[in-house]
Amino acid sequence: MNLSSRLRNIPFWSWVWFILGALYFILPLYATLDFSLRMERDIIGFKAYVSAFEDPDFLKTFGYSVSVAIVTILVSIILTIPTAYWVRLKLPEARRIVEFITLMPFVVPAIILVFGLIRIYSSPLTIPLTDIVLMPPLTTFKFGTNILVVAGYMVLGLPYMYRSVDTGMRTVDVRTLTEAAQSLGANWYTIISQVILPNLRSALLSGALLTFAIVIGEVVLASFLGVPAFGPYLFLLGQHRAFEPAALTFTTFLMTWAAMGIIQLVTGGQGQVTGAH
Amino acid sequence: MAYLTLSNISKAFGGGAHDHVLAVKDFNIEILKGELVSFLGPSGCGKTTTLRMVAGFETPTTGTIAIENTDITNKAPNQRNVGMVFQSYALFPNMTVGDNIGFGLKIAKKPSKEIKQRVKEMLELIHMAEYGNRYPYQLSGGQQQRVALARALALKPDVLLLDEPLSALDAKIRVSLRSEIRAIQKQLGITAIYVTHDQEEAMSISDRIVVMHEGKVEQTGTPFEIYNFPTTVFVANFVGTLNTVNGEVVDPAMGLLAVDGVKFESAIDLKDRKKGDKVRIAIRPERFNFVSQEKKANVLDCKIENINFLGSIVRIQVMIGSTKFYVDTFNNPFLDLPNIGDKDQVTCSKEAVLVLDE
Repeated sequence: MNLSSRLRNIPFWSWVWFILGALYFILPLYATLDFSLRMERDIIGFKAYVSAFEDPDFLKTFGYSVSVAIVTILVSIILTIPTAYWVRLKLPEARRIVEFITLMPFVVPAIILVFGLIRIYSSPLTIPLTDIVLMPPLTTFKFGTNILVVAGYMVLGLPYMYRSVDTGMRTVDVRTLTEAAQSLGANWYTIISQVILPNLRSALLSGALLTFAIVIGEVVLASFLGVPAFGPYLFLLGQHRAFEPAALTFTTFLMTWAAMGIIQLVTGGQGQVTGAH
Repeated sequence: MAYLTLSNISKAFGGGAHDHVLAVKDFNIEILKGELVSFLGPSGCGKTTTLRMVAGFETPTTGTIAIENTDITNKAPNQRNVGMVFQSYALFPNMTVGDNIGFGLKIAKKPSKEIKQRVKEMLELIHMAEYGNRYPYQLSGGQQQRVALARALALKPDVLLLDEPLSALDAKIRVSLRSEIRAIQKQLGITAIYVTHDQEEAMSISDRIVVMHEGKVEQTGTPFEIYNFPTTVFVANFVGTLNTVNGEVVDPAMGLLAVDGVKFESAIDLKDRKKGDKVRIAIRPERFNFVSQEKKANVLDCKIENINFLGSIVRIQVMIGSTKFYVDTFNNPFLDLPNIGDKDQVTCSKEAVLVLDE
């Protein structure tokens, strides 16, 4: 059956609801795009985009957020993959506890998280009952603050990264693949690097892109920790300018769609899971 | 001399007093080099658990496992040189067929030339020489299992373990692939343990069969022994179809038994029993003949109750006295079958009448 005949077979009311839903989503987007193209009176142009991208603060904050996002993704992967793997392989009884922990970021607002981080890490780390300082307060130097930012973003992105990885592992029957690799003489490092990780590519990409989207758009954590991130920049820009925030908002949407497109491309045809279950 | 020895192997799961499960109880076997031994039994009987202990994926609670007198009980799975074929094939989806087969050799740091040669040999062994660059998802189930077998054999393991390798395949493929597996195993002379719940599979390919039930070994023997001389009711019922009825000893010296007053002569030694002892009597349906065809030691009056076509076999239900028996005969379009309700006579030899332990 070709596409046109398939489209003809869709019921009328399905089309009605689809169009209404699409309008609800597309109209505000269109309005934002239209507004962003009208910086010059009576001219449709990209002046707002040029103005936004030429702002040195844009490059600085966007670059900072991208860097933090990449570090957050890497550290999340290093933490999440062995955890999910070990839970699936050896500690299935711990699965519920781990899942509960990964859901906590949905319950704890970012503002509570950042206040907790500041409260704990604005004091020096000392050996208990002594005055020996192991580490100065993380909030007093730049690298320390960046550590807090990455840690905070890891917590915020944890539900997405863990669930992506866990779902990916479930799909490839990690337990049997591990046993097959062990029977062929592989050690743990070889199993994870050559058998498990390559089969989690699409899951990792999903988790990574979701984490990226969270980091790029996050405002609360970055504002309270005083770091030059993209989220607060966009927020401040909106206080003083009209057209540039619209341009950047639409650009962010485009980036998100591009990320989703990449996920679709990678997950769309790279091989299937073998074996019966 | 034994090549693979399992001595007093037991496996318990669960730590608490109430959920302590003894999955394998006091399992003992000595397997010779080049022998294919099947572990046969219903689901949950402990056959896969025993296999996994040989592979190293489970640690025995008690007992030892040795290959050529070397104790491997506490060795990690990746140090045992034991190849395994899984029910779900477990091919690595991110690797081609060639890479899957060569994986173990790569881990063992063999030279790439040797790996290439060995992969080529394995592909030819499984008749898939043109498939080296394909991915697992591009293969059928039977092809995937052949690749899994080649992968396990590439490293020349000391022992090959097969955990219900054909369960996921359709009946026709199962029959052809099991013959292939057996032929390859014989050709390479590799010692193998084959786990299955399919008795036909076990009987067709095994040198010996271990029938298991509730974690224990019920009987060990050749397929011929297991089928024709089952020693317990479970083995007799599980392997093949069997008439099992309650009877009693009439004359131990003469080997005479009775089922509801109908006398049977048995070749089993009844000297340890006395007259009146209750026994469980078993006779394979195919050991009966109608007297018109042949006459043997036991000639018994019967009434035809039912006739079932089972393809190559015709199963006739008869009443001998007040006891139901099945009589099997090969299907033949020109067979002169009795009619339901007819009175007839059946016969069976003394050797066909078995006395079982409960």
